[in-house]
Amino acid sequence: MPQNKSAPLLLAERARRDPEGVAYRAKHLGLYRERTWREYAALVARCALGFRALGLQTGERVAIMGDACEEWVVADLGAQAAGAITYGIYPTASAAELEYQMRDGGAAVFVAENQEYVDKILPLAERLPGLRSIVVIDDSAVFGYEDARLATFAALLDLGGDADCAALEPLAAALDPASPAFIVYTSGTTGDPKGALVAHGRHLAAAANLIGHYPTLAEQAHRTVVYLPLCHILGRDVAVTLPLMSRLVPHFGEDIEDLPQTLFDVAPTVLFSVPRYLQKFAAQVLIGIGSTSPLKRAAYELAARLGRTHARARWEGRSGFPLAYALARATVFRPLLEKLGLDRLELAISGGAPLAPETHALWHIWGVNLVEIYGQTEEAGAIITGQKGPFPRPGNVGTVAGGWELKLGGGNEILIRGDHVFEGYWGKPQATREVKGEDGWLRTGDVGKLAGGALRLVDRARDFIVTAGGKTLSPSFIENLLRASPYVAEAMAIGHGRKYVTALIEIDYDTVADWARSRSIAYTGFTSLARHPEVSKLVAAEIERANDELGRVEQVKAFRILPKALDPEEEGEPVTPTRKVKRALMLERFKELVASMYDEREERLVAAGAGEVLD
Amino acid sequence: MNVARSSGYYRTRYGEDFALLDTKTQKAWCAVFVAALLAYPFVAGPLALDLANQVLLASLGAIALMLLTGYAGQISLGHAGLLAAGAFTTGILFKELAAPFWLTLPAAALAGAALGVIFGLPSLRLRGLYLAVSTLALHFIVIYAGGEYETRRGFSTGIIVDPPRLGDWALDEPRAWYFVLLAAAAATLLFAANLLRSRTGRAWRAIHGREAVAAALGISVHRAKLSAFVVSSTITAIAGCLFAYYRGFVSAEAFSLYLTIEYVAMVIIGGMGSLLGALLGTVFVVLFPYAIDAAMNLLGLAERLSSVVFAVNYSAFGLVMILFLVFEPQGLVGLWRRAQDWFLLWPFKQRPLAGPR
Repeated sequence: MPQNKSAPLLLAERARRDPEGVAYRAKHLGLYRERTWREYAALVARCALGFRALGLQTGERVAIMGDACEEWVVADLGAQAAGAITYGIYPTASAAELEYQMRDGGAAVFVAENQEYVDKILPLAERLPGLRSIVVIDDSAVFGYEDARLATFAALLDLGGDADCAALEPLAAALDPASPAFIVYTSGTTGDPKGALVAHGRHLAAAANLIGHYPTLAEQAHRTVVYLPLCHILGRDVAVTLPLMSRLVPHFGEDIEDLPQTLFDVAPTVLFSVPRYLQKFAAQVLIGIGSTSPLKRAAYELAARLGRTHARARWEGRSGFPLAYALARATVFRPLLEKLGLDRLELAISGGAPLAPETHALWHIWGVNLVEIYGQTEEAGAIITGQKGPFPRPGNVGTVAGGWELKLGGGNEILIRGDHVFEGYWGKPQATREVKGEDGWLRTGDVGKLAGGALRLVDRARDFIVTAGGKTLSPSFIENLLRASPYVAEAMAIGHGRKYVTALIEIDYDTVADWARSRSIAYTGFTSLARHPEVSKLVAAEIERANDELGRVEQVKAFRILPKALDPEEEGEPVTPTRKVKRALMLERFKELVASMYDEREERLVAAGAGEVLD
Repeated sequence: MNVARSSGYYRTRYGEDFALLDTKTQKAWCAVFVAALLAYPFVAGPLALDLANQVLLASLGAIALMLLTGYAGQISLGHAGLLAAGAFTTGILFKELAAPFWLTLPAAALAGAALGVIFGLPSLRLRGLYLAVSTLALHFIVIYAGGEYETRRGFSTGIIVDPPRLGDWALDEPRAWYFVLLAAAAATLLFAANLLRSRTGRAWRAIHGREAVAAALGISVHRAKLSAFVVSSTITAIAGCLFAYYRGFVSAEAFSLYLTIEYVAMVIIGGMGSLLGALLGTVFVVLFPYAIDAAMNLLGLAERLSSVVFAVNYSAFGLVMILFLVFEPQGLVGLWRRAQDWFLLWPFKQRPLAGPR
């Protein structure tokens, strides 16, 4: 029973049962270094003993900041095995966010992936009395630092001596499955991020519900690539927890920047992704097709036409044209996906944010079995619903996964009840009560619809737009249509209390730049490209296309292109590290742009008229 | 380092980086190609078999010249002289001492190596055109010496060489020759491919790039140049020895300057800096005159043009050379790579991988 165990215990058991099996592969200097379960367990044991030698006590916190890498996972499990509570910090977090999370979590040890993060933490270290040690994983650029708290990851492992995998067993056995294991910070689109505390056993049981929903993960060996941030609950599931309980072998790339190369090297059979990546990949493919030779493009168009018909038939449960489609797949789609390293995907799972149905359909046309899942940090690593597939119709997030009761509450808010609920927000009992409620139903804050057993997400409850005309609209529905364009990286629909809907658009620099080059449009950088009248026309055409699918009141009547790219690493940017838009901050930051979209002469006239009367 | 052409080839050991054949597709195609080569003599007619033997024989010399010119960047116009040296060593040893092939072959190789040092010495001082002229001078010296030997010993029409023997068995049948030459060509190709991936081969490419930079990187430019000449000459002399046995006849007239030009053409038309180019160029240059002949027969011009058949051949050859230099400096291998890319990138034109932000 997973709820009576902990991740370090699962690792110790696996190392005993299958010592020579490959636990994961990590690319280092061009080679995928294979780690067996025995080596993995020994590393975690040494790391845990190293943390103990640093004086880490049970229940203290360890913060880890950096991109997904092998050592991140080892440090995480090592700290858990030492009895500590771990939490990850987004590698793109700004100094203020970092300071907030360090204070809020109160970490005693900070693990930095490389010198970049050491430089981020050192200026704050004086103001963080609880911080005792800073451990740096890749010390290749750390010279001339004179700080007594600084140690390398290798030195930390050395503190653990030559412990082998057997040394992990007593450590893991001493852990109480009901004690807290880690904290995951919510992205914080509204207000400061809250840290969701999760216990060992609860997390394992929750992750088991994902495997229960997708049994292929346990039935056969699968390769996957780790690239999602590990501080996110989905990233943690993929890199740490699922491999312990299934036959999923994670692969770490040389560097997160090399993701295309890593995907191509590994050719994963299972991929967990977020809409942003899926959309980016799809846009890149479409642009590549757009600039290819006429013959090749004609072949693609033909295959795509067939693929569309076939995909539609498949959604409706008919067989479609299996033979013709198999031919199209073998001659066009397979070579196409092969360039991305995605030709062997048996299951692609999208979560984290709503996936645009257009993007979803495109992957189905290409023959990738893409399914959408729905879950939140507060479910401790479980999913609430997921499309079973194969090739489910886009537009919903599937059926309820094991262990949940689901109902729609007031205002169609999704309420769930079950075992896989987080312990509570770290240090925020009030916020915990608001979400958990007294009746045992967890408030998700999302508005949904149930149709034929499948859940459809409408929007975040608090994000609804009520126009001046009294119509209630879902901004994410409009935004998803806009984002379906390869030229639009981010879109925010505006209209609350306004006469009509408008949108702020962030262009996708890569694709728009490519488009501009192919039309000999001169530009010098993001801003000059964003301000170019031709680009404005391009975006207008894309919005026109989206408007065709929108109801009259939903239609975007005006738009403005953001003059700069949204950068989560910058201080006070209206976007979270996962690139979710912080709406209130967006409106504040770009208020001139927004105001310029609404012609308010009428209001001013009325106000002016009323003012005279009232005064 | 190999660059994998299809997805899903991750390496866990550096040894995998050294593999000549990487992906399953490559291995499968290679197996098909080898099977076709082995089956060829059993389906080909006498002319086709002789042509194949000529191609295989010439490929040794072409690979050797590719190493010297295409990789190490040293121009040599003495290639026919080196072939002659190998052939004459064999002929003289056979005539004077009745030496068997297992003595003449290493002797030819030694003669080639020694000449390589002599050919290479000017390269330490001279570059470009001057080097070409100095190697040309050596060519004439070798041919002159061979001619002198012929006249002094009274073989003014040439030296007759008996087929090599091993016990009772004589190598005199075209099919047997095919397999011997195939083995020799394959061995040379493997040797060259491996040499190019070694320290020596990398040094050659470096001096080709720029000598000053190579020297700054710690490469001994003199040694690299001399080794390039020695390796190339040795292979060429071995090819000359095989040539003597295959033809059964050695004569100074067979090693004219035109032969050198043919080898240079193989390297250029094939594509500089590619072993595959050397092979493609050999096939092209050896078969070209036969193709012209066939074309003339087909057009019914053979009768009328019989008096000028050589002129037609030469001028067509020259024209093809010029066309390649102007329109496809990368040679046949450039065409091959473009065709390959067309399929490898399908359905794209460029790799669509800028990566996500």
